[in-house]
Amino acid sequence: MTRASLRASLALVVALAVGGAAVVGLLPSYWVFLATSVLITGVALQSLGLVAGRTGMIALCQMSFAGVGAWTVGYLNLAEAPGGLTVWILLGGLAAVPFGVAIGLPALRLRGINLAIVTLSFATAFDTILATITYPGQTTFLQVPRPALFDSDGGYFVFVLIVYAVIAVALEFLARSRLGASWLAVRHSERAAAAHGVSIAASKLSAFAISAFIAGISGGLLAGYLGTLVAENFSMMASLSLYAVAVMTGAHFAEGAIIGGLLVVMFPEILRRFDLPQDIGNVLFAIGATQALSTGETMSETFRRLARKLRPARRTKVADAPVSDLPAPVAHAVPVALEIDNLSVRYGSVVALDHVSLKVPAGTVAGLIGPNGAGKSTFIDAVTGFLHAYDGSVKLAGAALEARPAHLRARAGVRRTWQTNRIAPELTVGGYLNLAAKGLTQAEIEAVLDWLDCPDPEVPVTTVDAGTRRLLDVAGVVAARPAVVLLDEPAAGQSHEESVRLGQRIAQIPKLFGSAVLLVEHDMDLVRSVCSEITVLDFGKVIASGPPAKVLSEPAVKKAYLGIEEESVAA
Amino acid sequence: MDALLTSAVAGLTAGGTYALLGVCAVFTYRLVSVVNFTGAAIGTAGTFALIALTEAGYPTWPSVLAGILVGAFVGVAIGYVMTRWFAESSASTKAAVTVALLVGLIAVGLRLTGGQHPHVMPELFPGSAFRMAGVEVTFASVLTIGLAVLFTVLSDLFLNRTGVGLHLRALSDRPMAAELLGVKVQLLSLLVWGLTGAFTTFALMIIAPQRSPNFMTLSLLVVPALAAALVGLFRSFWLTLAGGILLGVIEGMASTVDSISQYRSAIPFLVVLAVLLWSQREARWDDAR
Amino acid sequence: MSRLVVSDLSVNRVELPVVSQVSLIAESGAISVLLGANGAGKTTLLEGLSGIIPVAGGRIELDGREIHKARPGLRSREGLAHVEQGRTVFRQLTTEENLKVGLSREAELAQAYDLFPELVQRRTVRAGLLSGGEQQMLVIARALLTQPKVLLIDEMSAGLAPVIVTRLMNAVRRLADEGLAILLVEQFAALALSIGDRAYVMRRGRIVHDGACKVLARTPDELHRLYLGTEAA
Repeated sequence: MTRASLRASLALVVALAVGGAAVVGLLPSYWVFLATSVLITGVALQSLGLVAGRTGMIALCQMSFAGVGAWTVGYLNLAEAPGGLTVWILLGGLAAVPFGVAIGLPALRLRGINLAIVTLSFATAFDTILATITYPGQTTFLQVPRPALFDSDGGYFVFVLIVYAVIAVALEFLARSRLGASWLAVRHSERAAAAHGVSIAASKLSAFAISAFIAGISGGLLAGYLGTLVAENFSMMASLSLYAVAVMTGAHFAEGAIIGGLLVVMFPEILRRFDLPQDIGNVLFAIGATQALSTGETMSETFRRLARKLRPARRTKVADAPVSDLPAPVAHAVPVALEIDNLSVRYGSVVALDHVSLKVPAGTVAGLIGPNGAGKSTFIDAVTGFLHAYDGSVKLAGAALEARPAHLRARAGVRRTWQTNRIAPELTVGGYLNLAAKGLTQAEIEAVLDWLDCPDPEVPVTTVDAGTRRLLDVAGVVAARPAVVLLDEPAAGQSHEESVRLGQRIAQIPKLFGSAVLLVEHDMDLVRSVCSEITVLDFGKVIASGPPAKVLSEPAVKKAYLGIEEESVAA
Repeated sequence: MDALLTSAVAGLTAGGTYALLGVCAVFTYRLVSVVNFTGAAIGTAGTFALIALTEAGYPTWPSVLAGILVGAFVGVAIGYVMTRWFAESSASTKAAVTVALLVGLIAVGLRLTGGQHPHVMPELFPGSAFRMAGVEVTFASVLTIGLAVLFTVLSDLFLNRTGVGLHLRALSDRPMAAELLGVKVQLLSLLVWGLTGAFTTFALMIIAPQRSPNFMTLSLLVVPALAAALVGLFRSFWLTLAGGILLGVIEGMASTVDSISQYRSAIPFLVVLAVLLWSQREARWDDAR
Repeated sequence: MSRLVVSDLSVNRVELPVVSQVSLIAESGAISVLLGANGAGKTTLLEGLSGIIPVAGGRIELDGREIHKARPGLRSREGLAHVEQGRTVFRQLTTEENLKVGLSREAELAQAYDLFPELVQRRTVRAGLLSGGEQQMLVIARALLTQPKVLLIDEMSAGLAPVIVTRLMNAVRRLADEGLAILLVEQFAALALSIGDRAYVMRRGRIVHDGACKVLARTPDELHRLYLGTEAA
């Protein structure tokens, strides 16, 4: 992951340096002044990109956080605090963080829309408060001084450029880290993220806090840019239209933030020259954002998709990696990996599971089958912690899991895959694996991917077909080497040959990775060949368990699936 | 004390408006599953149609009617965007779309209404209705509250006693099952958008004289509206009604206390924060994700 | 006389081919039974037929008219009714209100109560509180009141006791005898085969068997093989 981050950062820094040199060297000072504004807006957009683009939260008070940063810089200036603008900007950013935490915290565990409402109402409240506080020093005509080296317009442009570049590089590294992957995962599917051990609340809060920090910095930069500020710079409308721009351009991409900055600053400029009303810009942003939301693709993503078509096809399959490169199996010492005792679940008057007991011995592959509506999904949800309440007990390696929420159960050693695909398409294959199983080396990641016929780690998930994504899901949980792996219909939609191959792989999981497996499937061939023991559910009850060959020929099981009694055959 | 009571009562007009806007927001959410950030902006469009017509010399009441129709039409237009391209989208995406549309709507609105320069807004219901405990209660406040109550009662009757209401209730429970039974899902959704647009417009027409009519400030009344809807947990009309009125009354009272008077626009934020903190206890998994 | 002809239909779910080149027919007065283990693609097929999922390839014709490009509402008005799996009652509406939702002008509530008298005493009860069997009767009756020509029923017997399933199957047979074309999707073969005319079996998205119900009912080993047995090489 670091290699890719370094590469991307280098490209970014070079592009910014070249662009910056062109601006300072070639353009008259008026345009340099405007270009500075583009970059400052770009910083604000980067902060929005993190919280809205990457983590999928609707944040409508970004300029208010910027205002906190700006006013902090003003106060520091008034108090003649040491350090100069460079230090003040950082302090301004830090000052915005507690606001972010205070606003975000109540909304984080509820549905996303609540955050939209609380941020918008905060923006309104902040507007009125700011309107009553004149900018520190304004009455005495005190200006916020720029750092000595960067005093001129050209100089300040370079200063802002450096700040922009530093933030952009930091975000590149963050994006490829496990934290960054968790943000994308949370955006796409909170349940899937929790199933990988990610704490949703912590993930969202970290995104919100870091974005408030960056927004605060942009406010400080604005203070140095203009010398003194007014409340209108940070109004609610500014926050709203910034949000629309971020959604439209895809501000979580490096180029998206710059494009957004260009649009916000240059568009009114161009309109002014043509004597057209300047607020048409907002209409454009509204239309652009709506368009991006309906297609699910921002401007940056469109450019990247088109660029991919131009580039020569990169190798999509991992070169054969030796089995010895696989991550070492984790020995789980207990004889019984997973023990479910008298699990019962009711939905109102409907009994979904009725005193279900099941054991998955360590080192084995067990199967769970049953007709539709038998309760298999409810079973998995209960075991992995996605059900509000149930009766009975679930023990992992002897320890009861009852009080623990889903993400803690995952960390304790129960991992699961999903019937419907929940892998965030914005991730790379390698990034996903890193999220699912932290601490793996590059060689180990490649080995696991090759073992399951998955693509190269650099490949973006969005280009991977649905069937392979299912295998990727399995690869992720297996690579984590938990005590037990619950596979939910991994062979769905596969051809006979593919499911045979998958079956061979599943059978090897206990030996290669040390995890016990509970396989929930409809594919009887797969179950028959892979499982040492199967349990059959019907109407929420266990109706048979034992070796596959024996169970699948039991009359009760045949009846459950086909509704045929052995005796009624004669008719 | 007297001043406090007077200002509390004075806040009833705003409270009634917040209540009606909030109830419309809950109605929209329950029936077409959209948290509508353009709610107030739609009403503002209709209100400014009224202003334009009266400034051009047309008689007041026909202009009011025209304005209400304009509001309904803008509502339907937004509803069309939602049902045509975002029918299958997540609740979060739909909300984001209404935020984007709000930005565009305010931009167009400000442009068409000459920015932030003042307009003359006819006061539709001037004067006071009665005195209560020595305080004047205006027609405007009686009307807005009455309208909010009427909307709640009417929508209850409409949903539970009419055939169209039946289809709407089916639609809100399971849109696909309703469509499979031949229910005209898109048309009914547009009906919801049009109705809420009309009611919102009338409410804003009543309150506009009190609030320097400016396209942006009126559109941002969506904030107290959503705060009221949150008090009702986006479920209960009566709680939303109560929440809206309470919000208006608290704002009114705050305006008399010099030290906090200028911050009274922050009250909706505090209400939202309080409701969310209280709702934390029910944190559960989002069904879809 | 109505006829639903499905030709080479393919339906994908999120780019996964779940139904591949399926052809089948449902005719007035007859019940076409579609069997298969879960995961075979039966529900996806029905959702492609009624329009919930767009079709990826092939044709659907109802009485000679192509309907595979129409929206679900339009297909419903053309006479195709789909009873989804999971008993999709409108939970907050009463039994009678549920029945009224799709009530066509030519139909009467009495038709529903005639088919399922059990529903009469539950008329004013909220549908969410009905038993599983009652809910299943309700959704079938509700679809019936749209005056359809073709009725698609998805796994009505799931989770119900055999005596109720028998009741439902007999009601479905009666509907067919009265002129409806029915496509009955089931996992539980025995009862379905006993009332059906034509049998299709699906496995991994394809039709692997097409024949008479009577014949398949007499050869349970064949059925067993198609469901639970090893795949033919």
